[in-house]
Amino acid sequence: MSNGESNIYELHQVRVLRVYDMSNIDKLFLFRFEDPIRARDWRFGPGQFVQVSLLGIGEVPISICSSARRVGFFELCIRNAGRVTSQIHKLKPGDLIGVRGPYGNGFPMDQFYNKDLLLVAAGLGMAPLRSIFLYALDNRWLFGNITIVNSAKYGKELLFQKELEAMKDIATAENIEIIQTVTRDPDFPGLHGRATAHMDKVNVDPNNCAVAMCGPPAMYRGMFEELVKRGFDRRYIFVTLERRMKCGVGKCGHCNIGTATSWKYACKDGPVFDYYDIISVPGLI
Amino acid sequence: MRYVKISRENTYMFLERLKDLGTLHAPQNISEKYYDFVEVDDVHSVIFEYNRTVRPPRRFFYPEKETMFKFNMEEVEEYPVEIQSERVILFGVHSCDIVGLRIIDATFLDEQPDPMYKKHRENGIIIGISCLPDEYCFCNVRRVEIVDAGFDLFFHEISDGFLVRVRSITGHKLIEPNLDLFEEEISKEDTDYIAEFEVKRRSMFSIQGNWDDLRYHLEWNMDHPMYVRESEKCLGCGNCTTTCPTCRCYDVKDIPNLDGKTGERVRFWDSCQFRTHGLVAGGHNFRPTKKDRFFNRYHCKNAYCQEVTTSYCVGCGRCTYFCPAEINFKQNLLEVRGEA
Repeated sequence: MSNGESNIYELHQVRVLRVYDMSNIDKLFLFRFEDPIRARDWRFGPGQFVQVSLLGIGEVPISICSSARRVGFFELCIRNAGRVTSQIHKLKPGDLIGVRGPYGNGFPMDQFYNKDLLLVAAGLGMAPLRSIFLYALDNRWLFGNITIVNSAKYGKELLFQKELEAMKDIATAENIEIIQTVTRDPDFPGLHGRATAHMDKVNVDPNNCAVAMCGPPAMYRGMFEELVKRGFDRRYIFVTLERRMKCGVGKCGHCNIGTATSWKYACKDGPVFDYYDIISVPGLI
Repeated sequence: MRYVKISRENTYMFLERLKDLGTLHAPQNISEKYYDFVEVDDVHSVIFEYNRTVRPPRRFFYPEKETMFKFNMEEVEEYPVEIQSERVILFGVHSCDIVGLRIIDATFLDEQPDPMYKKHRENGIIIGISCLPDEYCFCNVRRVEIVDAGFDLFFHEISDGFLVRVRSITGHKLIEPNLDLFEEEISKEDTDYIAEFEVKRRSMFSIQGNWDDLRYHLEWNMDHPMYVRESEKCLGCGNCTTTCPTCRCYDVKDIPNLDGKTGERVRFWDSCQFRTHGLVAGGHNFRPTKKDRFFNRYHCKNAYCQEVTTSYCVGCGRCTYFCPAEINFKQNLLEVRGEA
């Protein structure tokens, strides 16, 4: 949480509380700030990210995947994909690391109030969307019907599958539809096919629905087409993008995207962009 | 604005006195052909007429390598390092480079200011100087050939010395104790000289007009054959970005000490022309080809900087002047604009 005069690169100590295996390559970490004041006061919004530092190794941007309403701790779902994340995967409860943030615009939740909510995740995209989903559950009265579509190539890569499965009972009572589907796993006992193939199962009204998506660009393109065809209001379709966010504060230039008429910092102007951003700024997806 | 006048001879005396206020850097010959900002020892080696320095002035406020903090890995503790910053006086800065600094200010001194840049910049004094363009210059079409902000003093050539515009309180404070060197009476002859100088200067630019519409031409011609043809020549050396007065990309590295416990986090200039600039974990690259990286630079430089209301490129000509592959930025842009 930086303000004008604090050092934007300053790290804050967080302690690992719990580590859960999510898949062969993904782990879920629970963290708490060591400074009790910071633990109490630190806030973030769904769709925002933090910079996680392992001193001596480096820093990586990671989306927060816990509910913004649950304070005192936060959760990160981290894939073992590179030099820093492979070392993060070695962390154990009790270990200390450094964090700064939160960064990014996040999803404009106040625009989502009194609307149905359609959340569409592919692969690791489930991590930031879980943050909105849990936020919506914690503020259930602010939203209409909710559908969450969680997709992955293989059943073993379906993140938070068990958590969502366990919620199905209460979900029915709360007008929440949970759809979990895989695209390349014939042995998976549940649904098959891409998110677009399950749009008849959603419980949301296209005329009054906010859509939040996180996944690869190909998924966005397919979903845009499907959503427009079904009459969803384009103004309330949002996606979140991945780029190389080194500084998180719109300075280092690695996450720059766009063209000369629309030059963006994904970390500061995004990572959440709406449908009209996507069709106005070449190169976003 | 306040104007004062100084003779050439007195300018050397003024430079001598400036040396007492901090480290004075000014354009000097570093070889037969090239100039750079060099710390002034003998004031008579300062060059008043030069085309461009090899390195733009940003390095005085945004060094190519800087320690962000030191750390202890075992304690997971961060130790702030005191930002080493001394008063730097830059004499002889061209208008393009003054705007270049303002463009970096727009990014580094925003609502989340970069603490190191801020400190260095607060310790800087900028003294501009008028100039005449060579064939590489195109600051005129970038609308930055005359500056109204971003300097403390600005020296305009007149027949027997310089007419000086005083822009800031710091500028006034530089003049006041040295009034023995300056004249406060400005004649019609002096302002006429400047007006004529500007007419002559305007006529010397190899292109005329206004490039505010260029960013649209670039967007309307995103698959212009220029990108493929020119990026094939590109060596990917990053000279264009290193010498650019508005480039500000940096990368960050943790450098552990041999004790295995302590170390420091260092940030250093990066270049979007390097393959690693868009490379992320898992081997994915957001700008995998040379053409992608070339396109990125052309669009970044021609984008609109809201705070300064100009493009990010100030038309200094360095990226072309120092390109070992002789890629001509100005010519390539003219081609996309349909004027080559």
